[in-house]
Amino acid sequence: MVRRILGLTTGRIAVAILTVIALLAVLGPLFAPQDPLATSDHPLAGTSGSHWLGTDYLGRDVLSRLLDGSRVSVLGSLEVAVTALVVGAVPGILSVYLGRAFEWVTLRLVDTLVALPFLLFAVAVIALLGNGLTQAMLVTGVLVSPLFYRVSRAATLSVARSQYVEAAIISGASIGWIVRRHVWAKVLPPIAVAFAQTVGVGFVIVSSLTFLGIGVQPPEPTWGGLLASDLGYLGQKPWAPVAPALLIMATVWAGNLLADAIRDVSGEAGRALIDARRARPDRLDKTDPAPAGGTR
Amino acid sequence: MTTTEAQVPPAHRRGVAAARARHTVLRVLATLARSAAIFVPVFLVATFVTFALRALSGLSPARIQLGEQATPEAIARVEAQWGLDRPFLVQYWDWFTDVLHGELGTSWTNGADISTLIATGLGVSLSVAVFALVIGVTAGFVLGTLAALRRTTWIDRAVTGFVTVISVMPAFVVGIVLVTVFAVGLGLFPSGGYVPAAQGVGPWLAHITLPALALSLDVVADVARQLRTSLIAAHRENYVTGAVVRGLGPRRIFFGHVLRNGLGPTLATLGLKFPALVGASVVTEWIFGLQGFGRFANDSAQTGDVPAVQGVLVVSIALVVSFNLIVNLVLARVTPAAQRGV
Repeated sequence: MVRRILGLTTGRIAVAILTVIALLAVLGPLFAPQDPLATSDHPLAGTSGSHWLGTDYLGRDVLSRLLDGSRVSVLGSLEVAVTALVVGAVPGILSVYLGRAFEWVTLRLVDTLVALPFLLFAVAVIALLGNGLTQAMLVTGVLVSPLFYRVSRAATLSVARSQYVEAAIISGASIGWIVRRHVWAKVLPPIAVAFAQTVGVGFVIVSSLTFLGIGVQPPEPTWGGLLASDLGYLGQKPWAPVAPALLIMATVWAGNLLADAIRDVSGEAGRALIDARRARPDRLDKTDPAPAGGTR
Repeated sequence: MTTTEAQVPPAHRRGVAAARARHTVLRVLATLARSAAIFVPVFLVATFVTFALRALSGLSPARIQLGEQATPEAIARVEAQWGLDRPFLVQYWDWFTDVLHGELGTSWTNGADISTLIATGLGVSLSVAVFALVIGVTAGFVLGTLAALRRTTWIDRAVTGFVTVISVMPAFVVGIVLVTVFAVGLGLFPSGGYVPAAQGVGPWLAHITLPALALSLDVVADVARQLRTSLIAAHRENYVTGAVVRGLGPRRIFFGHVLRNGLGPTLATLGLKFPALVGASVVTEWIFGLQGFGRFANDSAQTGDVPAVQGVLVVSIALVVSFNLIVNLVLARVTPAAQRGV
């Protein structure tokens, strides 16, 4: 599957961008040319040899702050995605097998989570429960988990009703064996798509929260925080928001691209689709996973 | 066809019309009942979670009013005054019945009535959100239809590319760009603040245009993308081929068959999108200095004013639920597929 994703140009671009961002998160703080917290007496300076991206309103080096802040943003979005995966996918698969009561309860819970404006709720929960980004991300992860629930439930349902699973049940297979052998193979691709999407969504949420100054203590640099501090000095430095904004957008875009690439290569006609890509340009791309689900 | 209809006796025709009207009313009622069966539990669970926030947070009005060095007796007295010493479920029931009456309690920080505070902010937020929805639906509809009608041409590719670009821009990035270009750079719009519509429609529109634009891009992207996909899918259906074979004009096929069937998923997406729109108002109101209810939520959350936060959450949940109810009704009216429980 990885090889087939890399076979697509979009897949290669997405993987390349995400790799760079991940490297930034791991190694970025080491590369930072200057102390991201050290102030200097040249506030709001432009691009120069010592400050490649200039300085902010306290004279701190913007490049160093960008590199240092990458870890918080990337870790945060991964936390969101992993939490959503665990909280959403497991009940999603189980809801098909554990009987009607469990199904009803989880469906109602998912309906509720979808109805909560998650940014508003994340702000409220984080501000009230304590000012830590980890809790923040766990809460947002739970709030975006309905996507995983629906996706994995839909995939499991389609497997559970297929004839080869019936045949397996008739020949005496246990539910655990069926899940491991059949359900897993069918559920994994849509979950991978949802995961790639959620990384992008999580990135937006982390940056929005840090932009509002929620979840981090002030001197610590984050991409959202950089944008927020630039906002007050647009008159003097109108180009300041470009670098962090571009980084955020590139990451989100890469997440979406990867999701599309996985969707393209997985599924029944995965291989045929790559070959037929140019032959059928009006193929249905970007079918949202559960568009009709929200109103149920 | 017309000649046979003209021969039907008038009384009989009236009967048919009445039956049809009755059928429509019944269908609307059935949709309402089905939606209520979903949304009432949603509202109950959501308000319960909201109320449980206070118990989970461990915050108390005593800390805010008396400071950190309060004696345990003083804390107990203040908590008793707010009714916090009663059992949890009793408190929840009291609060919930008050909420149903539209009373959201009083603020811990200044004792003001939360319903009035939110009502003042809601005007701002709703102006922006509705305007954003109008922009988003109109632009998304035009772009999506254009791309679907001219699929596989450069127009389609241009629209798809544009939609991809705007879909990865978070609301606050768009907001900053808009402020930089249109407010600071060109000076066309005010960079922040709000003027009620009562003081003139022109200034009101000028103040809400930029925040509404910032909020709307996400809606534009989603509506355009979904509409393109579902219109193209509807175009491949057998009934469209059948309509072509019967010799119907392209316009009639588009409006009567393709659009009507393709609209469902788009409307459903809109219902899903609305909570995100309400949530993103926190960010845009912060950028544009609007005293809306997102800003109010942020401020009261930061000061630990739990009843105010709960009030905002309840109002936002009510907004989302009623919006989805409207979407469901429109869905039931527009698409034949909704009858089949899609």
